[in-house]
Amino acid sequence: MAPRNLLDLDDFSAEELMALLDRAEAFHRDPSPRRLLAGVPVVNLFFEPSTRTQTSFAIAEHRLGAEVVSIDPGDSSMVKGESIADTAITLAAMGVGAVIVRHRESGFPYALARSFPGHVVNAGDGTHAHPTQALLDLMTLRQEFGRVAGLRVAIVGDIAHSRVARSNIHGLRTLGAETILVGPPTLLADAMAEEGVRVERDLDAVLPTVNAVMLLRIQRERLEGALVPSVAAYTAEYQLNARRLELLRDGAIVMHPGPYNRGVELTDDVLDFPSCRYVNQVANGVFVRMAVLEALCS
Amino acid sequence: MSDRSMILRGGRVVDPSQGLEALRDVLILGGRIARIAEQITDADAKGAQELDLRGAIVTPGLIDPHVHLREPGQTHKETVATGTAAAVAGGFTAVAAMPNTEPALDAPERIRDVLERARAAGLARVYPIAAITAGRLGKELAPYSLLVRAGAVAFSDDGATVDDARVLRRAALYARDLEAPFISHCEEATLRAGGLMNEGEVSARLGIDSSPRLAEEIIIARDLLIAGDTRKRWHIAHLSTGRGLELVKWARAQGISASCEVTPHHLVFSDRVFAGFTARGRVCPPLRGDEEIAALRAGVREGVVDVLATDHAPHAAGDKSGPLSETVVGFSGLEVAVGAYAYALPDLPLARMVALLSTNVARLLNVPGGTLTIGSPADVSVLRDESWVVDPTAFRSKGRSTPFEGMTLPRRAVATIVGGNLVYDARGRVPRITSAAIHDGLTTAGTR
Repeated sequence: MAPRNLLDLDDFSAEELMALLDRAEAFHRDPSPRRLLAGVPVVNLFFEPSTRTQTSFAIAEHRLGAEVVSIDPGDSSMVKGESIADTAITLAAMGVGAVIVRHRESGFPYALARSFPGHVVNAGDGTHAHPTQALLDLMTLRQEFGRVAGLRVAIVGDIAHSRVARSNIHGLRTLGAETILVGPPTLLADAMAEEGVRVERDLDAVLPTVNAVMLLRIQRERLEGALVPSVAAYTAEYQLNARRLELLRDGAIVMHPGPYNRGVELTDDVLDFPSCRYVNQVANGVFVRMAVLEALCS
Repeated sequence: MSDRSMILRGGRVVDPSQGLEALRDVLILGGRIARIAEQITDADAKGAQELDLRGAIVTPGLIDPHVHLREPGQTHKETVATGTAAAVAGGFTAVAAMPNTEPALDAPERIRDVLERARAAGLARVYPIAAITAGRLGKELAPYSLLVRAGAVAFSDDGATVDDARVLRRAALYARDLEAPFISHCEEATLRAGGLMNEGEVSARLGIDSSPRLAEEIIIARDLLIAGDTRKRWHIAHLSTGRGLELVKWARAQGISASCEVTPHHLVFSDRVFAGFTARGRVCPPLRGDEEIAALRAGVREGVVDVLATDHAPHAAGDKSGPLSETVVGFSGLEVAVGAYAYALPDLPLARMVALLSTNVARLLNVPGGTLTIGSPADVSVLRDESWVVDPTAFRSKGRSTPFEGMTLPRRAVATIVGGNLVYDARGRVPRITSAAIHDGLTTAGTR
């Protein structure tokens, strides 16, 4: 039986993940609206602003026929000043079936799930997890290569602060892919290495060996927080640009969860690169979110 | 009223202060230890009440050198009365109370106030620890000699590190000639930053803001160097890393007067308790990795660790379901401690355990107790090696949170005697209490 919540991908078996991806593909083939979640109130509770993820969830919810309510916690007296348990009790009493939650703190959706009897979907918690992003990445990889097992995927950049990276590590490992993490020691601890996950520092050496490169957004405040000397120093070692695209083997693809910082982790050459799958990723986001909501709620 | 006399029959008396570990009767007369012998006759006892302690362990009163009693100012979390009730229920006859109250214990009248409340409660003895800096703000010195005269036994800004090395050095110089040691809470502020747990594999996987071991070790090193520089007696609180122990050893080898304590939670739990984002393991310094647990246990066995300390830090029963950053730091320790120590250190000889919990603590704080020698105050702890399951709802402490909840521990306190008064008695768990007078002792204990 599939878990009640989607908090992170490490709660899911390979079979469960593949079933989700299969359903997402079915929605991809036939994206017409359905009534699978008719009458189910779904609340989007985004404590952190997120245009892209919130929009993607809202579209997925509407396509499944759910009753969609978006709460801006900044304006909501219900959420403000309430404990998380109070909020959960209130939402449950109103008959809310699922809460899609994003929060700046790692673990927040777990605390919500302890008090909320319905379904909780983690739409990104602090630097911990972003499981629907990882699912859409897995879907994109499978579309490209017909499988995920046996692939070798590099994730490059600010791993330490990346919920996208952490969820992808779980998903890739569960589905049998090898992950290579690349970044400077301040943004990528040696402790991240484990079975199926390698830590490397030399991007040029890694690029010729992988099927896919996932770039991560590096935020400006990292550059100011004594984690990286400068943009120039960072880009010299870790930016994907025209020269480094040449190092990729034939058929390798480039991915980015967005939003990207032009001139930092990538250059325009990467966005123009024919094997850049950024647009496919965004499109797949709606389908995996439909698949998740369907699996949890119906 | 009890006349503070009794006979403790047939327990295993373990008193490292006189190298005693044997089945003995103990006679208490007028609140003092009067005799210890293989058999004490009723003629000696002059009709004193008797406790049948066959199968139990009888030790000099256990002293916890590190508790938070929260009074004044945070009495919703704990009071001197509830904290000392928890102490005696956990087998402790005395506790040393940290000064991070509101206001802080940085003035003689506040020390006297705590002592008065302890006397009124009539349970465990309380030894106040005064602040190092005024208001624990790390800027101005507290009036050390006045505080000692009022009854303070040590100085600490526990809960906070004195960040300013110049202030700490001057404080130590000023207080140098006082016997009362400085006790350091060691967390370097810039390294700790917003850390909610230990930095390591678990924090890396969970993406939780973390504090490295280095944050603690760098302050241990700094403070031991200041101790050497100022020749002040120094004690490191709740030490949690193997390298921290190495630093203490190094300091002693230099002739620096340095001691240290470890807690039950650091001896038992690793940072893996955070998997699933459960919040009840949040504490400062944070729970570390398995290697540190092993190093701390070895440090106890090898004698590097001087005393054991609960860091009993009760919080009001509140919402523990929230996210980690909103969860209070610390938890109750007094009522699980003897069981937790036995659980963590099953092979430690009993005499060594008692030294770490009693004799060494009395010496550290320069307070009476730690011994059952004839004529000393009859502070006696009675323990029993039997399994029990930790149920925080049964705590005397107001703080009901503990990572030990639900665990089975191998030892517990069954009776506690302070100054010849039976202040705690786990009722039916002491086998056949033979005198009905004991129950009078219980009900009158609070009014002595």
